[in-house]
Amino acid sequence: MSARDPLFPTSDSLDDWFPREMPDLESPLAIAGRRLGVVVGGSLSKGLDVKLDRETVIEDLAVGRYVVVRGQHKRFFCMITDIVLDATNPAIRSDPPDLSDPFLREIYTGTAAFGTLHVAPMLTIDVDEGEPKPVKTIPSHFMPVEIATAEDVNDVFGHEDETHFNVGAPLELEETQVNLDLRRLVERSVGVFGKSGTGKSFLTRILLAGIIRNDIAVNLIFDMHNDYGWEVVDERGPRAKGLKQLFSSRVAIFTLDEESSRRRNAKYDQVVTIGYDEIQPEDLAMLKTTLDLSDSMIDAAYELHKLWKEQWIERLIDASAEVMDMLREELSASPASVQALQRRVQRFERFGFLRPRALDDSARQILAFIEQRKSVVLEFGRYGGALEAYILVANYLTRRIHSMYVEKVERALGDESMEPPQLLITIEEAHKFLDPAIARQTIFGTIAREMRKFNVTLLIVDQRPSGIDEEVMSQVGTRVTALLDNERDIVAVLTGISGAGGLREVLARLDTRQQAIILGHAVPMPVVVKTRSYDADFYQSLHAGPGTPAANGGNGEAAPQPRPSEDRSSRRIR
Amino acid sequence: MNETAQQPVIGSVLRASTVGFVCGTRSQEIIHPSFGAFVRTRHGQSADFDVIGVIYAISIDDDPLVRQLIMANNLPHAAARDQRENRMVPVEISVLNVGFIQDNVIYHNLPPRPPLSLDQVCLCDQHTVVHFTRQLDFLRLILNTGDVPTEQLLAAALLQAASARPRNERYAFLVDAGRRLAGMLSHDLPRLQHLLQLIRPA
Repeated sequence: MSARDPLFPTSDSLDDWFPREMPDLESPLAIAGRRLGVVVGGSLSKGLDVKLDRETVIEDLAVGRYVVVRGQHKRFFCMITDIVLDATNPAIRSDPPDLSDPFLREIYTGTAAFGTLHVAPMLTIDVDEGEPKPVKTIPSHFMPVEIATAEDVNDVFGHEDETHFNVGAPLELEETQVNLDLRRLVERSVGVFGKSGTGKSFLTRILLAGIIRNDIAVNLIFDMHNDYGWEVVDERGPRAKGLKQLFSSRVAIFTLDEESSRRRNAKYDQVVTIGYDEIQPEDLAMLKTTLDLSDSMIDAAYELHKLWKEQWIERLIDASAEVMDMLREELSASPASVQALQRRVQRFERFGFLRPRALDDSARQILAFIEQRKSVVLEFGRYGGALEAYILVANYLTRRIHSMYVEKVERALGDESMEPPQLLITIEEAHKFLDPAIARQTIFGTIAREMRKFNVTLLIVDQRPSGIDEEVMSQVGTRVTALLDNERDIVAVLTGISGAGGLREVLARLDTRQQAIILGHAVPMPVVVKTRSYDADFYQSLHAGPGTPAANGGNGEAAPQPRPSEDRSSRRIR
Repeated sequence: MNETAQQPVIGSVLRASTVGFVCGTRSQEIIHPSFGAFVRTRHGQSADFDVIGVIYAISIDDDPLVRQLIMANNLPHAAARDQRENRMVPVEISVLNVGFIQDNVIYHNLPPRPPLSLDQVCLCDQHTVVHFTRQLDFLRLILNTGDVPTEQLLAAALLQAASARPRNERYAFLVDAGRRLAGMLSHDLPRLQHLLQLIRPA
């Protein structure tokens, strides 16, 4: 045995026995760019059928992965939406050959029995122009299909810069980046969906961090579970930093529950209190389903407000039997409704932030921060568990801020320097606000539908997108969706996205962790991403600024600067 | 493509058409040809191409003498031998045309004209077999021929073609041929299965 025999190294070094760089032929990298098969049929509306080559191992493919069809003059970007086992003769199902024999296996595989892919065309890049465009045609017959390479993906998603933020990598192409166009993201409302435990708040935190870092919009976050402001206890690992810790000077924490914030050592800036006198009957109407209010109770609220003006809640809570008797004569509402309303309103006494008189005008304070381009996280502390508190506060504050915004924008009269900054309001459990029954009346319904022109948009975080009003959903420009398995939710998320029919399978088969589909306004084509980890590398990249080595996923390679000729605004599916 | 002179002559063309021919030979000369073997004609002055074919039948006809000899009691050994070696009826070797060679180029088509009677017929050498079977178009020709035992003939021809190759190439050749057959016979899976069993390496 010679000393250089590669099979039997005599060295004591482990590296000689187990070389560090063993070529791993089956790694996703190794198969990128490899031919998978040829286009054999299909249509633009239903997607293309690809017959797989014999050598293609079906088990290596996955729905959601990008493939590229190299046509005569164009590259077609497609996403795998289904994988099918096919046979030239259906009779083979009833009498399958004996594939334990390797000879027979080699012959039958890829001839009488073969694999087929369904792929949805998403974008084309003309060979001459090099610019991604929405797909309006399909490649001709028998064009070769390959797994997309890093280069292909970079041609579509560009590079990180002032307005583009790296949110992760496409499936199996981890050396590349998906860069969201943040300006387009905040231009229209955004939805982050996914069933519980799929990392919605982590996804949201990554998006918010990008928006704050690049100063694209100011955020107002109604933080139900104390997920965004200060340290967050990760269900799986170490504590994750909140936005205030990442951008201390650009984020303020407001709290409704001083005690909880203090206990968590969260450095809050302001305590929010709301006076009973500030609550309008409209705010109560919002709580119709949550507090189980009947129409006659809401009518009674309007009557009481008319009678007692701003003291109506305070006086209703304390109303004695005599007062109730007196009301019987004053109001047209039935005494039973008034009493029922009283019982409901008395629940407000549990909420420490509701007082007869507010300490400050919280809405105005929040607006002052927003005008200084500081994002505001409103922590609910222990009140996050009470949905009625969350809805009441979010609705009250948003209504106030909204009217101030409208006023400011109208006063600016188109003078951009006078206009208030772009505001993105984050709400959780959004289907409770945007339920079809109440979406038309609530301020959030109004914002989602028409506030784009007043520089206010919503970031709705929800696990039941099917519970959100259809008209509101149609206004959600960008949808970031983690795993959903309820059929109605999947349909709701995919409604109104062009070419989304094939994504249903992809959506239902996402991993439960760190995977999401991004579709709509902020990406040129729907993309399945393995989202970035929210960890030390991520924190570091935020401070390094866009396009610098640390921002590039922490792998030490500088992201090349975008080509000046690139017109990024054309990269979208219209 | 020059046929080596050593390749044994197995007979001469007895009758022929463009789809096949029959060559006759003496009965003691039939030790070489076997079912499924590749043969070629050697053209005379009148033609400029050699026909390549596959043997699909070898038949020995009777004659009145052999009928009588069979009926005779105590047939002397010498008489039987004489009848076999010197009889006036040739052994007939039926060949299916699968291609031709013209100016050292192999064509996988039927020949433009049949070989002429009395053209010599010899076995193809290994080189020609390998060269000819690099393209597998002859499989379809054989499959579509009605009067021959198709599966057996295909299997025998493929095994002959495989054995003409070096040992390490035989398996790959048979797999390749099997895939072609799978493509052609996808409508008739029992037939395909039978054929693959016949060519399956032991």
